[in-house]
Amino acid sequence: MINNKIDILNHLAAELKTTVKPAFTEFQKDQDTAMPAELRNWLVRLRLLEGVPFANLVADSELLPQESIRWFYLDRRWTDAIVQGALSVGTVNSDDRIQLEAQYAAIRAELDTEERNVRRREGDKRKMGAPGPISGFLLRSAAVSGWPGLHVRAFNVDPEEGDDARYEEDDPRRIRLLRLERLAPAVLLCLFDGIPKVVHIEEPRQGIQFGFMHEDSGSSRSAKLRPRNKTTFEYLDESGGQDIDVPFRVGSSGVVDIRRLSDALATKPNTGAADGLDSAEYALQLIRFPWRQVYGEVESPRFETVFRATIEYEKVVEATFKL
Amino acid sequence: MAVGEGKFKLYTKITPPLEAGDWRFEASQNLSASTPQGSLDEDDLRIDQEQINVRIRSPRYVLPPDQVLSTYPPANSFGSYGSRLPQVVIKRRTLPWERRLDGAPQNTPWLALVLIAEGEARLDTAVDVADCVTPGVVLDGVAEVAKGNRLVVRKSIIDKVFPTRNDVDLLAHAREVDIHDTELMMGDDDGFLAVVISNRLPVPGKTRSGESVPVKYLACLVNLEGQYNALLERSPDPVFSTRFVTERLAFTEHAAQDDHRVMGTAGARQADFNLAEGAFAPAPLASTPAAGPASRAEAMTGSASFKVKSGVAAKDGATPHKATSQWSTQDLAKATSTDISLQMAADFRIVDMIDARLLDPEYRFPVLLHWSFTTTGNTTFRSLMENLDSRLLGDVGNTPSDLSGRLPLEVVESGHVGLNHKTREGDEVRSWYRGPLVPHPTLTSTANRLDLAHSSDQLRIVIPDGREDLSLATGFEIGRLLTLSQPSIIASLMRWRQGHYHAARLKSMLVANRPLWESILGAGFEFNDLHRLGPLVGRYLVDAIVKQPELLLGEPRPKVSPGRPLEFDGRAPDVLATGLGLSADILRGGDLNLMLDNLRKVQIPMDDLIIDQVGTIGVREALEADLNTQRIDLVSNVLSNKMLDDVLTGPAFPVTETIKLDVSLDALDRILVDSIRARQLDEDEL
Repeated sequence: MINNKIDILNHLAAELKTTVKPAFTEFQKDQDTAMPAELRNWLVRLRLLEGVPFANLVADSELLPQESIRWFYLDRRWTDAIVQGALSVGTVNSDDRIQLEAQYAAIRAELDTEERNVRRREGDKRKMGAPGPISGFLLRSAAVSGWPGLHVRAFNVDPEEGDDARYEEDDPRRIRLLRLERLAPAVLLCLFDGIPKVVHIEEPRQGIQFGFMHEDSGSSRSAKLRPRNKTTFEYLDESGGQDIDVPFRVGSSGVVDIRRLSDALATKPNTGAADGLDSAEYALQLIRFPWRQVYGEVESPRFETVFRATIEYEKVVEATFKL
Repeated sequence: MAVGEGKFKLYTKITPPLEAGDWRFEASQNLSASTPQGSLDEDDLRIDQEQINVRIRSPRYVLPPDQVLSTYPPANSFGSYGSRLPQVVIKRRTLPWERRLDGAPQNTPWLALVLIAEGEARLDTAVDVADCVTPGVVLDGVAEVAKGNRLVVRKSIIDKVFPTRNDVDLLAHAREVDIHDTELMMGDDDGFLAVVISNRLPVPGKTRSGESVPVKYLACLVNLEGQYNALLERSPDPVFSTRFVTERLAFTEHAAQDDHRVMGTAGARQADFNLAEGAFAPAPLASTPAAGPASRAEAMTGSASFKVKSGVAAKDGATPHKATSQWSTQDLAKATSTDISLQMAADFRIVDMIDARLLDPEYRFPVLLHWSFTTTGNTTFRSLMENLDSRLLGDVGNTPSDLSGRLPLEVVESGHVGLNHKTREGDEVRSWYRGPLVPHPTLTSTANRLDLAHSSDQLRIVIPDGREDLSLATGFEIGRLLTLSQPSIIASLMRWRQGHYHAARLKSMLVANRPLWESILGAGFEFNDLHRLGPLVGRYLVDAIVKQPELLLGEPRPKVSPGRPLEFDGRAPDVLATGLGLSADILRGGDLNLMLDNLRKVQIPMDDLIIDQVGTIGVREALEADLNTQRIDLVSNVLSNKMLDDVLTGPAFPVTETIKLDVSLDALDRILVDSIRARQLDEDEL
C-alpha cells in the first residue's frame, strides 16, 4: 500500500508543474482579481473616456472644425488621473488611503491589460504585455452622420497588398480598436491599441449596393454609369471614357429611365445590352463598391504642417522669464 | 455548384416549377390485357381517376418578416443615399416570379419596389385585403391574411415614379452567394436570394438657392397583380407634356358646367360630358400641349361656356424638358408649380368628386413591405472623405471660425489650451488645460505614470509662467464625479474596501517578509497573486515534501523490511511441545499412532473456582465498579477541565472536583481560548 502512495506523491510533482497557472492576468471577465469585476469594468470604461464630457476631450470647438479629422495620442497620465479620481470615492480615512496606495500598482497593471481587451471578440486571444501607447482620431464630418456604420481598420504595417489588404480581425498586423463610437451625430471617436501605420475608413457595406456615380453641380444634378464588361466584370474604361449619362424620366425627380439607359448601354460593346438587357445584366452594371479612404504616411509630413500652435514656445519663454 | 468566397452569381430569374395558387393533379391510367379467353380493354380494367388538390401558398399581401433579409437604405435612417438605389433582399429566391401578371409576358415579376417621396401617395395600414386593390380589381384565390396595407396613389404619380411595364422585369433578379461569406450572405440558409431594386434614386430636395434639404422617402414593395396595365407602357419621351394642366382646365370646365346645370343657363349635356370623360381618362399624352385641350373642347359641341386656358399654363409651368440626362432644378421648380396648380385645382375636385377620380384616378396597391428613410444632402462619401482636413488634434484648421467677441484661441506647442478660470477665491485668471487627447507621443513607461493622488488639488501644477495647469486635476475631478453619479459603483467600492482590508494586511505582511516567501515559493513569485497564495503555498509545500521527504517527513519506510528473528532452542517437536504446555516426550518418538494416543491422554487443566463463582452477582458488581472508575479516569485525563464542566455531566459521568486535574491550562485549552478571542476581535474591527 505504501508503495502506491509514494507513486502518487511522485506523480504529484509532475502534476503540479502542469497545473500551476501562468500569469495572473488570465482571469475571466467576471472574476475578481486585484479589484471586483464590476469595478474593473467601470474603471476600464473611464480609461477609454466613456462618459467624459466632450468639452473636456476637446477644449474648444475651434480645435475640431467642421469637415476635419484630428489625430491624437492618448495621455496616460490624464487617464491615470481619472481612475484615481474614481478610486478616491472609496477612500474615507488615511487607513484606506494607505491600503489604496499599496494596491494601486496592481490595479493599474490590471487596467492596463484589461483595457486592451475591451473589444475582444469571442475566441480572439487576450492581449497581454506592457502597456503601449494608445492613439486615435476624432472625425467631424457629414460622412459620420450620413453613413452610419462606418468601418475603421488600422494596421501596424503598410500592407504589402496595397490599399486593398484584407486581414483577419486577430491578425497580428491588425491593430485592435479600443473604442469606436459616435459622440455626436457627426462626431466619431476612435481609439487604437497602438500607433497605426495605415488606417482605412470605409463606407458601410450593407450587402451589395446598386447605384450610380452621382454628381451635383450647383443648380443641376446628374449621374453617370461606368459600364462593365459582362463577362469579366471589369470596367470598360477605368478612366471613365466610356461613361454613360444616366437618363431620367421626365417630370419626376430621380426616376431612372431604364429604357433609354438600356439603349445607351447597347451602344457600348460587351455590356450585354445589345441583345436586350436582362435583369441580371442590369444589376451587374449597377453594382457599386464602398469607398475606402486610406490614411497613411506617403511621406513623413513636417510636424509644423499638421500641428500649428497659436502661441510659439519661444514667445512664452520670453514672456515668462522676461528675456 | 458552389460559388467561391467573396464571389456571387447573378441570375436573371429563378422561376418556380408551379405558380402560387390552387392546382389539381389528375392521374388516369388505361390498362389493357390479352388473355387466352380474349383481350380485356380499359372498360374491363377500369381504374378510377385520381385527383389531388394542391395549394401552393405564397405571400401576397404581407411579406413575412423572416423572409426579408435586408433592406437598403436601413429603415428610419438618415443618410446621403442619393446615389444608391433602394433594394430589398428576400430569402425566398422564387418569390418575385411566383405569381402571374395578367397582360404581362410570362415570368414577369409581380413585385415592384416603388419609392414615394413624402406627400406623393398615401399609405393606409390595416385595411381589409379586399380593399387593398383598386375597386374593380379582384384577386382570385385565398388571401393569407385578413388585413393588409395599401398604397393609394394617383395615376399621375404612377406615371411619374412607378416602373414602366418595360422596367418591371429588369428590377428583380436572383443572386447566389457563398454560404461561408457572412458579409454577402447576411444570415440566409441556402445562399440563394431574390433582390428587388427600385427604379428611383432617393435624391434630396433642393431649394431655389441650390441648398439641399432632407426628403423623407417611403419605400414600398407593392403587388402589381391585376393592375399591370395601370403602369406606363414605356417611359415617356423627353418631351414635356401638359397633362396636369390639361386636366385642371377640364376640371374648371366641369365645375362651370355644373354651375350652368344648376343655374339653368347654357344647357349642360350629360351625355357629351361622359363622352368627354371616356376620351380623357386613358388619353395618351398630348403631343402638342396647347392643341390637346382645345381640340377636345371643340369636340364638346354646343358648350358655349367652355374656355381653354392652357396657353397660360404652357408659358408658366410648361418649360419643355431638354432631352439631356440632367434634370434641372429650375425645371423642377417649375414642374412643382404645376403641382401647385394641381393642388389649387383640388378645390374643384370637391365640387364634383366623381369627375376628379376619373381624370386623375386613384389606384390602390397591396403593400407587402414598407419602410421609410430620410435622404439628407447630396454629397458623396468619397468627396467628403477626400476633402477632410487631416491634422493633429490641437490645430485650429485653415479657416478659423468667427472670432467676434472672443480672444483668439491660445494653443501652445505642448497642446495646452488657455482657458478662463474662476478660482475658488473668485479671481478671474487664465489657466492651461489639455484634455486626454494630445498631439505628441506620450510616455507610457511605468516611471512616467502618474503617482497616486488622493485629491484633485494634488494634481494642480503651477508652471513657470505663473499660470496653473489644471489638466490632470480636471481629469481627477471628472473621474470622481462620474463615479459619484453611479450608486452601484459606490456600493461596489465600499464593499471592496471592507472585504479586502484583510487582503491588504496580508499583502503588507508578505511584502515585509519577502525573502522568506521567496525562499519558500521561489524567486519569481508575483506578489499581486494574493488571492491564490493559500493554494500556492500548499502546492509548493507538497512539491517540497516530494522532492526531499527525508527532511520534512523522515525517511520513507523501505518497501520490504525483514521480520523479527525467531529464537529456536532445541528440536522443533520440543519447541512445539513446550509452547503447547505438553511434556516434551509426547511429540517425540516416530510412531504416529502412539503419538495420537498420548495426546488423547493429556489432562487439560481446569480452574474450578471460576466455574463455581461465575453467575453470582458479587463478582459482576465488583468488576463493573472497577471498570467505571477506570473509564472516568481515562476520559477525565484526556479532556480539559472546561470540557468536563460543559459536556460531561449527567449520570454517565458523575463529575466531581476530585476528577478534575489541578493542571493549569493545557494546550487544547489555550487553542480554544485563542480562537474565541480572535473571533471577537474580528467582529470589533468590522
